[in-house]
Amino acid sequence: MIEEFYKRNPYELTSEKKESLLRKELAELTEFHKKNCKEYERFLKAAGYKQENIKRVEDIPFYPVRMFKKYDLKSIDEKEVFKVMTSSGTTGQAVSKIYLNQETAMMQQKVMIKILNDFWGKKRLPMMIVDSPAVVKNRKLFSARGAAVIGLRMASSDMVYILNDDMSLNIEKLKDFLEKYQGQRFVIFGFTSIVWRHFYQELKKRNEKENMPQAVLMTGGGWKKLEKESVTRDEFKKEIHEFCGINYFLDHYGMVEQTGCIYAECEYGHLHASIYSDVIVRDYKDYSPCVIGKPGILQVVSVLPRSYPGHSLLTEDEGVVLGEDDCPCGRKGKYIKVFGRMKDAELRGCSDTYAT
Amino acid sequence: MQLEEKDFEFLVGDFNVLKNAEKTSVLPMFCDEMMDLLADLSNEIFQNEKIREYADVSSYAYWIRRASLKRKKEAYTEQENRLGRGVAFHIAPSNVPVNFAVSMTSSVLAGNVTIVRVSSKSFPQVAMICDALARVIEEKHVKLKPYFCLVRYEHNERINRELSALCDIRIVWGGDQTIKMIQKFPMPARAVEMNFADRYSIAVINAEEYLRTDSPKAARDFYMDTYYIDQNACSSPSLVVWIGENIEKAREKFWKELENLVVHEYQMSPIQAVDKYTSFCELSMKYPGVSLVSDNNFVVRLELDCLLPEMMEYKNGGGYFFEYKIRELKELTPILGKKCQTVSVLGVSAEDVRRTVFEEGVKGVDRIVPLGQTMELEFIWDGYPMIENMTRIVYISQERKGGRGIRNG
Repeated sequence: MIEEFYKRNPYELTSEKKESLLRKELAELTEFHKKNCKEYERFLKAAGYKQENIKRVEDIPFYPVRMFKKYDLKSIDEKEVFKVMTSSGTTGQAVSKIYLNQETAMMQQKVMIKILNDFWGKKRLPMMIVDSPAVVKNRKLFSARGAAVIGLRMASSDMVYILNDDMSLNIEKLKDFLEKYQGQRFVIFGFTSIVWRHFYQELKKRNEKENMPQAVLMTGGGWKKLEKESVTRDEFKKEIHEFCGINYFLDHYGMVEQTGCIYAECEYGHLHASIYSDVIVRDYKDYSPCVIGKPGILQVVSVLPRSYPGHSLLTEDEGVVLGEDDCPCGRKGKYIKVFGRMKDAELRGCSDTYAT
Repeated sequence: MQLEEKDFEFLVGDFNVLKNAEKTSVLPMFCDEMMDLLADLSNEIFQNEKIREYADVSSYAYWIRRASLKRKKEAYTEQENRLGRGVAFHIAPSNVPVNFAVSMTSSVLAGNVTIVRVSSKSFPQVAMICDALARVIEEKHVKLKPYFCLVRYEHNERINRELSALCDIRIVWGGDQTIKMIQKFPMPARAVEMNFADRYSIAVINAEEYLRTDSPKAARDFYMDTYYIDQNACSSPSLVVWIGENIEKAREKFWKELENLVVHEYQMSPIQAVDKYTSFCELSMKYPGVSLVSDNNFVVRLELDCLLPEMMEYKNGGGYFFEYKIRELKELTPILGKKCQTVSVLGVSAEDVRRTVFEEGVKGVDRIVPLGQTMELEFIWDGYPMIENMTRIVYISQERKGGRGIRNG
C-alpha cells in the first residue's frame, strides 16, 4: 500500500524498517506485473522466480533496463495508457518507451515533490527552466527532459523557459525573471550539459555576470557529456559559483524508467535513496550484492511503477553505495555515488567492420 | 578514377599500385614467384621475436610456409589453366586481426592484384605482418610489388564506390550490415563477389565419449573455440548439443571444468555480463520453454526445450550458450539452415554429421571440425573454395572425333 509510504518522511526509515516495507510492496508489484504482463511473466519463469523465495528486496528478479528500448512492455490495457515517456537518447539511439497510467503518473509527481520538499522546503518556488518550451509540447510523448520538467511543475509557483526553440538563450526572459524574483529563493533547473553550454557559457560569452545567491541550481542527466569536454563536477560548481554567484547546487540521479524516484544530492555530495526506492550494487561476476564500499553494477528498485514492469531494474550504470543511515546530513537510507555508464567492450570476432 | 593519394594510409604498396591496378597483368594460380614470396614472408615473420606472444600471427606464418603451400598447390589438379580474375577488392573485418592476411593470401595465390581495406583498429598483429611483407617485397620481390596494396581509410562512400567500380572481384567480411552497405556500390558487369555473412555455429558432444576422453583437453579446446575470440567469431559455437545416455553427468563435468578455466583466464567486462543477461531475458520472453541453468556470469547457459532457427538470433558473445539434448542427429535439422556455418564435434563422427546434411538436404553446415579447431586457417571458408573462387578457368576443348556439335551463346 503506497499510503504506508506517504505517511512517512522520504528519508526517515533506517535500513531494516525500510527493507521490510519495500520488500512487501515490491513483492506485491512483482506478482501484479506477473499477472498483467505476459512477457514479464515468461521472464520470471525462465529466471526461476518463486514467490515464496522472496525473503529480501535483493531476491526480487531484476529486469534489464534495455528491455524497454526494444519492446513495448506494459501491465495495463491500451485504453488505460495516459501517456508514454521516452528517454532522451541522441539521434539514432534506441529510446526507452515507458507506458504510464494515470495512477503511476500521479504517484511519480507526488513522490518527486516530496523528495524535493525535503531539500528546499515545502513552499512552491519560482523556477527558471534551462530548456526550450518545446521540450514539453507533445503531451502524449514525453522525453526524459520533458518528464522532469512536468514533474517539477507541481512544486513550482511559476515556470519560465529561458531557451528559445533553437536552444539559444533568451536573455530578456532571463532578465525579466531575475528582476521579478529579486531577493527571493528560486530554482534553476536543467540538464548538466545544457546548463553548461546554453546557460553558463552563453552568459560568459556575453559577459553577463549575474549574482544569484538565492538560487538553487538543480541539475540531472549525468556528467558524461561534460567529462568529454573535460569539465569535472567540481569545476562546474566552481565556475558557475564564481560567475553567477550560485551557492546551492542540487544534482540528481534518475532515469526515465523510474521517474519520480530521484536520487538527490545532499550538501555532502551524496546521492540519497528515499523510502520509495533503493539501490543494490551487483558484482558483475555473478550478480551477488556488493557490500558497502564495493563498486559494481547498479540495480534500482522503485515502488512507483504500476503500469509497466519496471519496479526492479538492472541498469547499465556503475556505482557504489557509500554508506547507509549515517550521512552527516541526517537523511536515513543508502547514499550512493554513480560512476556513469559502463564502458563498451572491445570485442574480438568477425563481425561489424563498419560498426566500430 | 576519382581517388587521391591522400585518401589512403598505405601499409603495404603505394598509390601507383592502385592507379595502375586495372592495367596490371594477372598471374597464374599458385605461380612460383608468389609461392616464393609467401614462403619468404613466413620466414620473415618467424624472425620477429615477439611472435611468441601472438598465437594468431604464428599460425598464419606456419600456414604460409613453403611446405604447407606446396601441399595446397598439389591438391589442385587443374591449376595450369587457372589464373587471376584481375583486381580483387577486400574489406577485412575489424575484429579478427589476422583475417586480412588470410583473405590477401588467397587472393594473391589466385593471381590477383590485391587491394585490402584493413580495419582502422591498430592491432600489433597487423603491423607485424604488414611490416614483414613490405620488407620482403622491397628486398626480394620487387617484381610482385604491383600485386599488393594494403590500405586503411576512413569510412568513405566515394572510396568504396571507386574501388567497387574498378574491381573484378569483391570480398567482404564483417557480416550482413557491412555487406548491405557495400552492395550499394555497383561493380563492373562481369565482376563477382564473395560475401561472408553473419553465421552461427554449434557443437555436438557425445556424453559417453566425452566422459572417456581427456576432459581438461576438451575444456581447453572448447575455450579456444569460444572465449579465446570472445565467442564472437561466426565459427564459435553458440549452441551445445548433447547426445547419448549419460548426459547429466557429462554436462556437469564439462561446464565445471570450462568454468574453472574461464574464471582464471578470461577478462570479462561488466557490460558483457549485462549483455548476456539481456539476451537471456529477450529469448525467454519470446519462447516459454527457456530456462537459465547457470549461476554465474562467466559461463551463462540456457536450456532450450525445442530447437527453432529463430532462437539463434538471440545468440551473444562472451560466454553465452544454448543447450539442447537429442537422441539422434536428425533432430538438428531445423537449425542446420543457411545461417549455420560450423559443426564442431566431440565423440560424434564427422561422417555421421555429413550424412545428416546430405540426407536431409539442409542449406547450412559448411564445415565439420573436431572440437577445438573451429579457428583453424583454411582456404575453404563458408563453403567457398577461396582461391579457386578468385580465379577464372581457361577452358580448352579437346578436338572431337566425328561430327561437330554447335552451341549458341
